[in-house]
Order: sequence, then structure tokens, then C-alpha cells
Amino acid sequence: MMRQMVAAAFLVLCVSAMGASKPITKVQLPCESRYQDLSPTGTQLVVHCKDRSVRVVDVPEGTERHVFPADQHANNFVYSQDGSWLAVGFEDGTVELFPSRGASSPIRWKASSRRIDMMYFFPDAKALVVGPVDSPGQVWEIAATPTLRATLPFAFGGLIACAVSPDGKLLVAAGDDTVLRWYDTATWKKTRENGDFLLETFALTFTPDGKHVLAGGADARITVLDAATAKQLRQFPPEAGSSVAFIDVLGDKQHAATVYFDDAGEKPPHAMLWDIASVKSAAMQSDAPLTCGAVVGGKLWVCSADGKTLTMSQYE
Amino acid sequence: MHFTRRELLERCAAFGAVTLATSLPLSALATEWDEAEKKKQPTPFCELGPFYKREAPHTSVMRAAGDSGMPLAISGAVYNTRGEIVPDAKVEIWQTDNDGHYDVDGYRYRAVLEPGAKGSYAVESVMPGHYPDRVCQHVHYLITAPGHKPLITQLYFATDPVFEGDPDKNFHRDPLITSRELVRPVMIKGDPKQIIAAVNFDLVMETL
Repeated sequence: MMRQMVAAAFLVLCVSAMGASKPITKVQLPCESRYQDLSPTGTQLVVHCKDRSVRVVDVPEGTERHVFPADQHANNFVYSQDGSWLAVGFEDGTVELFPSRGASSPIRWKASSRRIDMMYFFPDAKALVVGPVDSPGQVWEIAATPTLRATLPFAFGGLIACAVSPDGKLLVAAGDDTVLRWYDTATWKKTRENGDFLLETFALTFTPDGKHVLAGGADARITVLDAATAKQLRQFPPEAGSSVAFIDVLGDKQHAATVYFDDAGEKPPHAMLWDIASVKSAAMQSDAPLTCGAVVGGKLWVCSADGKTLTMSQYE
Repeated sequence: MHFTRRELLERCAAFGAVTLATSLPLSALATEWDEAEKKKQPTPFCELGPFYKREAPHTSVMRAAGDSGMPLAISGAVYNTRGEIVPDAKVEIWQTDNDGHYDVDGYRYRAVLEPGAKGSYAVESVMPGHYPDRVCQHVHYLITAPGHKPLITQLYFATDPVFEGDPDKNFHRDPLITSRELVRPVMIKGDPKQIIAAVNFDLVMETL
């Protein structure tokens, strides 16, 4: 359910406070689609079709690379941060890794017997964190035959959100049990734990210098944590009645783009831009419902689908 | 007249109604039969979130005076798969109010129950509303107990209009309902001035 909410959160991501938008390209979609996943290179789209099939297309050509019919039950899609891999998690617990470009064969393995609800790539794209529902998280080393490197247990439930420091040495995992756990990725020993959160954390990201972690969730606010001690440093003002679904730091390293969904499920999601240092915010106004967004080359890219035509823009 | 399992087996064997193709004595067979009948299937998993909140109050009354919605009484017991009571379980329950809103700031319609040695629990609430992002009315459960796998599940109501009176056929209308077993019958109780919807929901945990 959370995955659907995060996806829906992109429906209205748009920026006026940041400055003018610059159209980049138009893409012909293979189907009508409510939302898409944009690759971090801006060169590929995962298109979630109304008929519940999922199609991966190149941007801007619109060429179909992969088709996942509805009966394959592909449940979760995530790109590596360099855009070189697309990971697909299935309802039967299978994970499949597709090279974004080139003719290499995909890597497919059964990670769990449970539905894959969450995945996250390490910054160097050499490992993948996999979150089967109601099960411990898993860390897989990517290879022709992937190897399970670590499991990330929770008091109950499964993995909701995850972030790895830019140097790859620290992993923070947020579980259904509301606890944030820090792991040393060299030893996979748990080094810290933060049990301050009473509600679930849905979004985690490290600041580019690796010193802080931004966490957001059902408590309606972004919390800044010291990456070394796991302690709370400060909290941004809450967006009453909302939950944080998405956080990412822009290339200027000063601003965080955030998306909130309405707890009551009645209003559309809305987006805010936060100055991390001054904690000043600007609401992002929407002219048209947008259907995907990603930080591409440090800039915020957003897209809007009208029928089968998708328009992609960049905000300065 | 009531027969024990052993007496019944003995009579059936005497009258030729049962042919024993085993060397086990009748008493052992009766014990095994009893045990087999007590065994329970674990309660199916159903999504936790996204509005679970820790440290809910220990109370069996979530409904406050003047709250809108049909009063709801949920009761049940916590078992293991051998059919034994789990005496030290903790049952956490949360739901929307009758308007379909979760209380994220506070703890309205959130409770922790400790069934104790008898293993039974009961809570007073109101019929949850329809949360806009979900299809069906539901109550969330998290059950924990030492030596047992935590159980995360949801209770649904056979009276939910979404099922159009036929939950057997229509329970898949909510894609999150993993099993028909989670859709429970609703009994209407009480006097005409105070009608209460009563639901029984027994919970079965797996041992670690």
C-alpha cells in the first residue's frame, strides 16, 4: 500500500517556487498511464499501464525494451543510482535485474517466498537491498549468481525504507516496527538504533556529504539525524495531516525535494522544497498533474502524461 | 448423551463401523485424533500499514461517548497452531473512526490488549469508516508473544457493502484481502435502543 502511495505522490510534483521549467522532450507512451518511474539518467521510463501491465521504454524514442504483462505480477521497480540497472521485484519473491543498456542477459533469482515490496541499490550499484513483505530485509551482492550478504531483521514486519551513505559504509534501514537501524556494511553489524519514532518512516536519504540522514514518514515532518550517532539533530516543521513519502537532495546540495501524501486520502499529494540549512520551505505549485519525477544530474525532472503523450521538463 | 473420543472409537470398532488398520491402541488413536482436531491454521498475514503507531494506550474501550458510528464489539482468543491458548500475547489494534480517518497525532481508536492466561480479548469500538485509499472497512492487528512469530493481519466485515452480501464471491474486490478467512460474520446484538455489531476474530500464531 505504501508503494502505491509513494507512486501516487508523483502525480502532482511540480515546481514554481524554484524557477521556470524548461521542456526537455516528449515521449509517446505505449499505453495510458497514471504514473511512471523515471531513471536517474532521464533516459528510460517504467510505464505503469492502466491494464496493469508494465512497459519499460527508452526516452525520448519511446522504444519498448521490456513488457511485463499483468499476469506476471511485477510489483516493484527501482533503478540503480547510475541508471545502469533496473531491478524488478515480483509478487512471488523473485527479483530480476535488467541492464539498462546493452545486450547483457538479465539476472534472475528467487530472493524470498514473499512479495517484494521494496528495493534499494547501493551507490556503486554492486549490491541491492531487497525488502520482502513481513520479512527481514536482505542485502544481495550483484553477480551472475547473486550472493546473500546480510539480513536486516526487525521486531516485526518488513523493510519500508533504506539509504546507504555516499561512501557505501553505512546503511540505514527503516522497518515496519518504526525503528531505524544503522549497519556497518563492512561487517554487517548493527552499530546504532533510533527508536524515537512512534510512526513509520517512509523515506530516507543521506545528505551528499554523508554526515546527515533525512528521515520522513507518518509524523508529517523531516527529521535530520546525525549519521555518526543516529541521534536527532533537528526537525523541520510538520505538514499537518500529511505523511512524507519521498525525499531527495538536489545537486546544489542545499535543497531537498519532498512529496507528502494526505493522511485522510482525500487531497492530492503535494510537494515542498526545503532549504536544508535554514529550514525554509517553498510549496511547489502545480499547473498540471504530473506523473513522475526524479533528480537527474542534480536537477529536478518531472513529467506529465496526457493520454499517451508524456512531456518531460526540468526545473532550474 | 456425550461420548469421549475414546468411547466413540470403541463403540464404532465394536459395531464394525470402523476398521483399524494400525497396531496403535484405541486410547492412543483417540488422543491423536483429538490433537489433530485441535490444530489450527495460522491466521493469514495482511498488510501492517501505513498508520501503525507505537505506545498505544492499554484499554479495551476505544469508543467514546458521543462517537458517531455503529457500536462494534470485537472479541476472540489468541491460539498457537496446536490449538493452545497463548497466554502472554500482546494484541495491538487500530482502525479509522467512523468517518474513515486515522488518528496519527493521538491515539483515538488505537489500543493495546493483553489477553492474559485465558487468552481471550474483547474491545469496544465503532464500525470503521471507509478509508479513501482502501476498498473495504478494516481493523488492523499486530499480535506479539514470546516464542511466536509476530502476526500482522486485518479484520474485515462480511456486512461491508463492497461485498454486496456475498463475501465468498466478492472478497477479492479489495486486493489487500489475502484470505476469505479474514472476512468475519457480523452479529447484530443489543436492544433496539442500543444495537451493537458483534464480531468474533480468533487469532492463531505460529511458533518460532
